[in-house]
This record gives sequence, structure tokens and C-alpha cells, in this order.
Amino acid sequence: MAMTLSRQTWTGVACALAGVAAVAAISRRRKTERLLHVETSRAFNRSSALLACSVLTDSAMEHYRGAFSNVAMYVPPAVATFSLLAGFHGGADRTPSTHAVRHAIYWSAALTGLAGTGFHLYNVMKRPGGWSWQNLFYAAPLGAPTALLLSGALGAAAERLRNQPAHEPRLLGMPAGKALGLLSGIGLAGTAGEAALLHFRGSFQHKAMYAPVSVPPAASALLLHASLAKPQPRWLARAMLQLSWLVGWVGTALHVRGVARHHGGWRNWSQNLFNGPPVPAPPSFSALALAGLAALRLREGERQ
Amino acid sequence: MNPYTSRYPGYDVLNKRDTPSWDAITRKVIAQRMATPSEPGFLDIVRWRALEALCACIVPQAADRPQAPLAGMVDMRLQKNAGDGFRYARLPPLREAWLTGLHALDEESKARHELPFASLERSAQNALLSQMQHGELTSAHWKGMDAQLFFTQRVLPDVCGAYYSHPYAWNEIGFGGPANPRGYVRMYYDRRDPWEAVEAKPGKERQAMEKNRRVR
Repeated sequence: MAMTLSRQTWTGVACALAGVAAVAAISRRRKTERLLHVETSRAFNRSSALLACSVLTDSAMEHYRGAFSNVAMYVPPAVATFSLLAGFHGGADRTPSTHAVRHAIYWSAALTGLAGTGFHLYNVMKRPGGWSWQNLFYAAPLGAPTALLLSGALGAAAERLRNQPAHEPRLLGMPAGKALGLLSGIGLAGTAGEAALLHFRGSFQHKAMYAPVSVPPAASALLLHASLAKPQPRWLARAMLQLSWLVGWVGTALHVRGVARHHGGWRNWSQNLFNGPPVPAPPSFSALALAGLAALRLREGERQ
Repeated sequence: MNPYTSRYPGYDVLNKRDTPSWDAITRKVIAQRMATPSEPGFLDIVRWRALEALCACIVPQAADRPQAPLAGMVDMRLQKNAGDGFRYARLPPLREAWLTGLHALDEESKARHELPFASLERSAQNALLSQMQHGELTSAHWKGMDAQLFFTQRVLPDVCGAYYSHPYAWNEIGFGGPANPRGYVRMYYDRRDPWEAVEAKPGKERQAMEKNRRVR
């Protein structure tokens, strides 16, 4: 009797404990969900991951095309893979504190991007003609490593933001929303600059090629203004950022179509993926727009 | 034949026939070119012999390798009357130039050696061609055609053009064959697309051969 009862009791106690744990977990989750700065961090982790995904595909393809002639050309795809994984991990993580491994990965991604810009600049300058349109168009693209730098910078910012107090978090000596807004705004402008150079190379042969050189720069300007001016709701900046997000995905679809329009289409994929418009490039706009939207949400609630 | 004597060991452009590098039209054109018969379709047998001997002088081909049917290719061109779309005003049209030129070459040969051009020793043939190249053949058999111009504007382009349009010559010089439908995507010095031949560096012939097996 005692044995039976005790078994039932234990079962009951176990159920009760599980219930309490579940409720506690849910309430804790509810509580952490309200931490705006952690949600912003997660958005930046995800944005960094999307950028890393672009860099991984693009650098793997283009460095394969360049026959990995320099051993250093293996580094960006490898680092971007880690940055991508860190972004997945951070995007799901609600912990309000910096994750040391992710933070280290992001820093190495940023440094790789910085070094890559140097390598690409060297590649442009060593070619006959040096600093010329021809080499800016056809040598190693100067803007490409910056995407890895941005992926690292967005991720590192996300990690540092997590360590900040929930009330009035700060980054780089200024309100966090302002700092993140500036970072995403500058990144968006830079990416638009690269699109401008390469779409100019493609002589804007399709009207849609004007979209990434008009919408994201406008979004960038509005976001920079929202960051620098007195905080207040900015519906137009939000709308333009959302439009930039759309431009990224529609651009990807149009680039897929661009590959199809090349001689032999997708059946000749092994050549046309290189000769056609770069399919992995446009999602960078969507990534930076996501970061910009998260930064804007944080910025709109700030006091100075 | 020792494949290592080739600069592109193991490379055979014809291996790409059924890969994405060739399409239906390429297969058709190359098959026709490969099937060119080594017999006259347009020229009479006397001129044909002179043409065969002339081709052997201009582009000598190793006896231990498959040979491109050069005389057949030139004759096929004459049969189709496929001109260049332009010609030197001082030269007659394609067919007339070759008919006159081959006949005059034989007559010049007979005048010197009492033998047709094809029956001469290689050294005598070359000596005669050298005279043609330097404009020293001026007999009435040329019917007013400039022998030197015939040599530089008909003989050399037509015979060499025939040779380098043949896949055997492509293998020899490591040419990738028609770029259609693949296209080049590595437009820079010392870069190779996966469908192009690998040139062997001295002492690295085996590695080049391995890579050339994978060219497609």
C-alpha cells in the first residue's frame, strides 16, 4: 500500500515539478522576450548570417574561378562558414550576455574582410593599368571583402549589445540604436556603391538595375538621419528599409533569370553562374535592411 | 607514339564530343570535317597529285600520327567554291586561281626537271616553292597571275587554314575547339577554363596528362 501510494505520489510530484519548470521556462522566456536590446542583437546575428551566406557562396565561386591561385583565397569561404554558423546560433539565443566564441568568430570575420580588401586592392594595382575602370570592373572586386567585414561588424555589435543593460544600452559611447543605425546605414550605402559600379559595368541594360542604386541609398540616408537626429518614429525610413529588403530578394530572382538569359541558360550553368549576374550578391541588401530595421526599432525608443 | 612528346599530353579535343562543350551543330560540323575524303572531288587527278605534294611541303605531317587530309580539305573547298568573301584584285577567283596555279607549278617543274611537281625530290620541290615565294616564276602558264601573290594569298592561307581547322592540329597546339556553347569565364593571363588543354611543364608531364583526362 505504502509502496503503491509512494509511487503515485512520486509520479504526481514529478508531474508537478515538470509543470512548474515549464511555466517557469515560459515566463522566463516571456520576460526575456521583452528585452528589446537582446531582440535587436538577435536580428543583427541573423542579418550577419545572411551576409555571411552571400559571402560564402560568392567567395567560394569566384575564388574557384580564380583557381585559388593564392592560398589566402581559401580563408574567406572558411571564415564566412563560421560567421554563418555563429549567426544561426546567435539568432536563436536569447541570453542577455556576450557569447565569447561567437564574438571571436565575428572579430576574425571582420579582420578577414579588412585583410581581403587589402589583397583585392593589391590585385587591382598590380594589373597593367593599375587604378583604372577596366581593373575596377574585372580584377578582384574591391567591395566584395567589405561584405565579410560587415558580417563580422554586425555580429560583433550584436554580441557587445547583449552585455549592455536593458535600460539605455550603449555602444561606442553613444546610444546603441544610434550606433547600430549608423553601422547599418553606412553598410547599406557601401553595398549600393558596389552595385552601382557593377551595374554601370552592365550598362544598366535592364531598368530594374536602377533599383539597388536608388532604393537602398535612400533608405541609408533616411536611416543615417534617424540615427543622428532626435529620436522619433520614422515611418518613411522604415518603409524604405522594407523596400530595400524586397529589392534584395527580387534582385536575386532577377539575377537567376539573368543567368537563364545567358547563352545556354541554366543548362550551361557551369559557365553562366560565373558569366551571368552574381546570384549570391543581392541578398546583401536584404541582410542590411533587416539590420537597419532592428536598429531603427531600438533608435525610435531612445531619449537622445 | 609517346604521349609525353606532346606539349599537351593526353589531350584529345574529340573526347569532348559528348560533353557540354559541344552541341549538335558543333558535332555535325566536326564530323563532316573529319570525314573529308582523301580523293579529288573537284580537281583532275594530275592537279590533285600536285596539290597533295604541295600540302606535304607546306605542312609536313609526321608519318606515325593520324594525318589531316589537307589536299582533300582544299579540294572540298574548291568543290563548294567557298571563297573568303574578299580577294586581291590582282588574283583571279578561288577556283580559277588554284586551277591555274597547280597547272603552272607542274609546268615549271617539267621545264626544269622533266618531271611533274609530285615526282620531284622534296629538296627540289622546296627550291621551286621558294622561287614561287620570291616571285621568280613568270612563265606563260601562270596566265598573268602573280605567282608570289598566289603563294602568299592562296597557298599559305588555304593549306594552313585547312590544317588548323582540323581537330588533330587542335590537339597538337592545345586549342580547346569551338568556344560555343561553353564560353570562356576566366579571361586573364595564365588562367584555364576546365574545358581547355593543360600544358605540361618540364618534368610535370604525368600531372598534365592526369588533368587532360578530365578536360571536358
